[in-house]
Amino acid sequence: MLRKDQNDLLTQTGPGTPMGHMFRCYWLPALLAEELPQNECPPVRVKILSERLLAFRDTDGRYGLIDEFCAHRGVSLWFGRNEESGLRCPYHGWKYDVTGQCIEVPSEPEESGFCRKIKLKSYPLIERGGVLWTYMGPPERQPPLPEWEFATVAADRSFISKRLQECNWMQAMEGGIDSSHVSFLHRGELNKDPLFKGSKGNQYNLSDAKPHFEVVESPGGLYVGARRNAENGNYYWRITQWVMPAFTMIPPRADHPVHGHFWIPIDDDNCWTWSFDYCVTKPLTKEQLQAMLDGKGVHVKYVPGTFRPLANKDNDYLVDRAAQKAGKTFSGVEGISMQDASLQESMGLIVDRSKENLVSTDNGIIMARHRLLRAAKALAEKGVTPPGVDPAHQRVRSAALVLPPDQPFKEAAKDALVVQPNVAHVSV
Amino acid sequence: MTTRAEARYRIEAPNSQPRAVKVIALDASSELVVKRLAQLRWNRASFLTASAFAGTPARAQPFSVPGWLSDLAGRTKDLIDEIASADLVVMIATAGENAQAGSLIGEACVARRVMTTGLVLGTAAASDEALSKTLGQLRPYSVMLVSGGDEDYIENMLVALRA
Repeated sequence: MLRKDQNDLLTQTGPGTPMGHMFRCYWLPALLAEELPQNECPPVRVKILSERLLAFRDTDGRYGLIDEFCAHRGVSLWFGRNEESGLRCPYHGWKYDVTGQCIEVPSEPEESGFCRKIKLKSYPLIERGGVLWTYMGPPERQPPLPEWEFATVAADRSFISKRLQECNWMQAMEGGIDSSHVSFLHRGELNKDPLFKGSKGNQYNLSDAKPHFEVVESPGGLYVGARRNAENGNYYWRITQWVMPAFTMIPPRADHPVHGHFWIPIDDDNCWTWSFDYCVTKPLTKEQLQAMLDGKGVHVKYVPGTFRPLANKDNDYLVDRAAQKAGKTFSGVEGISMQDASLQESMGLIVDRSKENLVSTDNGIIMARHRLLRAAKALAEKGVTPPGVDPAHQRVRSAALVLPPDQPFKEAAKDALVVQPNVAHVSV
Repeated sequence: MTTRAEARYRIEAPNSQPRAVKVIALDASSELVVKRLAQLRWNRASFLTASAFAGTPARAQPFSVPGWLSDLAGRTKDLIDEIASADLVVMIATAGENAQAGSLIGEACVARRVMTTGLVLGTAAASDEALSKTLGQLRPYSVMLVSGGDEDYIENMLVALRA
């Protein structure tokens, strides 16, 4: 349960809000690099943290993320002409470079220098690992570039997708650290999905529906450990990484690619769910890539030409009651991602947390809220940089392993929980 | 059905009854925290201490220690009675301190099928070894085990659990 003022604080990320202030400390995924595939390609509308922006790639290959609207009469520059190192408003020809600087006002004498007095708000936009990242905070506090492992491996070892999620970022993200739902909601997928099946860990998951949890603070966020019974009195541990404010890495299964998410607020009612899969030691196979493109694992099928999932709230997520009854899916919804999203969106745009009845197994969620609230307060009152900004906090891994009962996972899995160059994830 | 307009029609009636939460300090440092927490306003939380147990010499017979479980005023409490009236038992321990009372409380909770949570304090100052020792003592008896650096997480946790 959260009070309304706490819920508001966590869920509101627009300019001037405490959580918005915090999100603006990080490099955030803004677009897939493939959305701006070549120089002078059409610009793309981007709404992020409740700001309407426009991304474009100019004649020289430079990326820009600027205020969507022309400073002259407020026209959307999405209609603009991307030409000769700038984006030109089609209404009266005002032209802007990737920094938002106006570089031409055709109606004014060039010698007047009028255009130099016009500058749109802009943010840096850089490519890393197939993602275009932006930093929306004050320039003097711009952190080092992101070092998430999935974004640093060779291009043929990772696959990244994004989908529109029609609810607040926080309830979507909380689903990512709620390990106890897997044995129920996703039980139909564990032995069926090509990116999950065949793992010994699946059997532990399915045979022990009452896991025990251990939540430990990490430098960047939390380790959320879920333990289930294994053979000979040992424990099967699945250790999820949550790095503030909105990154999770899910523990691997067998030698399948490792996956995880970012939940990035579009506005307070919508977010982008970013999903990545990667292997450290070998390229993704053709079959794995095809499965991801087909919406398997943590990815989805789309309404053609959009990033909206094909199964969405307007079609009741294509729920199949017969499949639910037959036990093929637990909720009747197909696919891991949409099983999660359908339920999270069903809570409402922003769930009223004053009505919830949390139990002990929700302590990972409670702890994450606590850390976010604490960090937002420390940032607002003392200017303390929040956890997760430091690239060292980003060089983390999830892990799945079997341990003797007396071994704490934090120590036994110490090496498994940080990036080891050219070494595969520890997995069962 | 998930529009903002539709959200206005969510039923406002209460959807749960108050739950009885027993918060038990397992050592002297935790007892100080629990005493501070007990000053706050709660729904149906009651606060106890088993710190006397932590001070018992290792080879003593723990069951013979009189008053090992008491309320914060020092009145002896019967473990079985306390567990019987609980929906949730929260054990508070300090990293590096003796959390052996957790085993006794945990066993009683298992027998009565009462959920248990172990919350460990002071992890920032404690060594990994000290933290591991405390976690190890609580692990078999806690459905959920949490460790954090600052004590204010305990209050947030109890509020979130509607204590």
